[in-house]
Amino acid sequence: MNYLLFLPELALAALAFGVLVIDLFLPRERKGYLPWVSLVGLAGVLALSLRYLWGKDTNLYGGLFLVDSFSLFFKAFFLVMGGLVVLSSMEYVKRHLSHPGEYYGILLLSILAMMLMTSSGELLTAYISLELLSFSLYVLVSFARGDPKSNEAGLKYILLGAFASALLLYGISHVYGMLGTTGFTEISAALLLEETPLNPAVLLGLALIVAGLGFKMAAAPFHMWAPDVYEGAPTPVTAYLAVGVKAAVFALVLRLFSQAFMPAIEEWQVILAILAALTMTVGNLVAIAQSNIKRMLAYSSIGQVGYLLMGVAALSPMASDGVMLHLLGYGISNLAAFLGVILYYNVTGKENIADYAGLADRSPFLAMAMSVALFSLAGLPFFAGFTTKFYLFTAAAEGGFLWLVGLAITNSLISLYYYLIVIKQMYMVPASDKSALKVSLIGGGVLGVLVLGIFLVGVYPAPLVDAIQGATGAILP
Amino acid sequence: MSLLHFQVLSAALFAIGVYGVLARRSAVLILLSIELMLNAVNINLIALAAYADTVRITGQVIAIFVITVAAAEVGLAMAIILRLFRHRSSVDVDDVDIMKW
Repeated sequence: MNYLLFLPELALAALAFGVLVIDLFLPRERKGYLPWVSLVGLAGVLALSLRYLWGKDTNLYGGLFLVDSFSLFFKAFFLVMGGLVVLSSMEYVKRHLSHPGEYYGILLLSILAMMLMTSSGELLTAYISLELLSFSLYVLVSFARGDPKSNEAGLKYILLGAFASALLLYGISHVYGMLGTTGFTEISAALLLEETPLNPAVLLGLALIVAGLGFKMAAAPFHMWAPDVYEGAPTPVTAYLAVGVKAAVFALVLRLFSQAFMPAIEEWQVILAILAALTMTVGNLVAIAQSNIKRMLAYSSIGQVGYLLMGVAALSPMASDGVMLHLLGYGISNLAAFLGVILYYNVTGKENIADYAGLADRSPFLAMAMSVALFSLAGLPFFAGFTTKFYLFTAAAEGGFLWLVGLAITNSLISLYYYLIVIKQMYMVPASDKSALKVSLIGGGVLGVLVLGIFLVGVYPAPLVDAIQGATGAILP
Repeated sequence: MSLLHFQVLSAALFAIGVYGVLARRSAVLILLSIELMLNAVNINLIALAAYADTVRITGQVIAIFVITVAAAEVGLAMAIILRLFRHRSSVDVDDVDIMKW
């Protein structure tokens, strides 16, 4: 067995524990080194992944752990995104949170969990890595010890998360019991042999797995925890939840449904389409009424989950490309929007939409960057959101879900309305406090890079599409 | 005893657990109900492994992992509940209502 293929994961686990250990020996005033150690480590793991996993298509441990271009694409995505989250956390952690060592260590562990999740080729491996991810997040969400809101968010998250895990496990036990295996390719082979209509126990298992994963990705009607958790969690963790966790769950869903459950597509396609319609409508309609910007972005990300689920319902190579591309475009835009919220909170300590009044006068750069991010989330042309949504919607329409695409376009228009409310606050409403806002150099730099990324993906997505098509080829030949 | 007996037992336990999660108001009792659901899963897995998968017994392996994960979950959840109790001397989930839409 070639252990080099497992090296990135081992290195990241060593890095996570290394950060925890280094933290013990650093005096208080030197704790600022920890994020830099994490960043250098993440860059090293990314280099290892690209060096040893490039172009490989094989598996380890008898099919438990898959090494292919699909997992490499998502690993690179998670490592880069993890680095951006570390950069965005730096100032926030220094000002508002104690115990930076544990913060960065657990953040790195959760990135490890995501990497394992995209590589898992079997239900138990997928479940264990999903739990590693969830446990890290329960801790991160309730990390602000003095803040009762963070505490409350942590409680809601862990109770509903554990409930969802139990549903998922019961589903797994039924699928295992009826098909006699937990491996993805073996499940697919066993499903081909089953006569139609499918055994009700398999259907129950499938439905429970969809419900359990629906909880984790915050699809309606399983989304109740999301707004509270997003509002209560420390803002960098919220950004991480909204971008990283969604991408990880969708990576698992794409692999699971294309490699394992593809033969039963007739059965789950309709369920996912209905979930998608419900999720995008609920998310976008309720977002209008929000006054807290984190809560508004939480509902908007629920809406985005609806679009992504639509792509999974219409599963085909093109739809899978669309889902991955939109995950990327949505990820960059949402990270930029949340980074704006973090930077504003670092200086002012406020996070209501009304508090953003007159931001354009106080910090033109921050207002411009946030407007770009919000326009991209709404899907206006020249921004990343338009290109990726266009690709995703076209794929869904070709998959026969024209009604769903119509609904998605209507929802995009609705979403433009509540994004414009924020932009109106920033540009039209005068500020009560006219003093200029000073944005930190690192935060501003990262935000600038993200804004450039939004335009790059929006105008010239061709290289990304090539990479994504290669990745999809590994799961949907 | 056939496989069906075990499956019915597991389904009943799971249903009781779901009812507990939805009906109980104390965070500790909700946690206990989730444990009940996980144990229902374990019974199901072990019975299926014993009757339908006697060679590889994957189900029993999964059950061991589930027990371990469940233990870790309880530890983490109790820590969060304990801190909640320090803040407001109550573990009633209806009192946890700072954030609402």
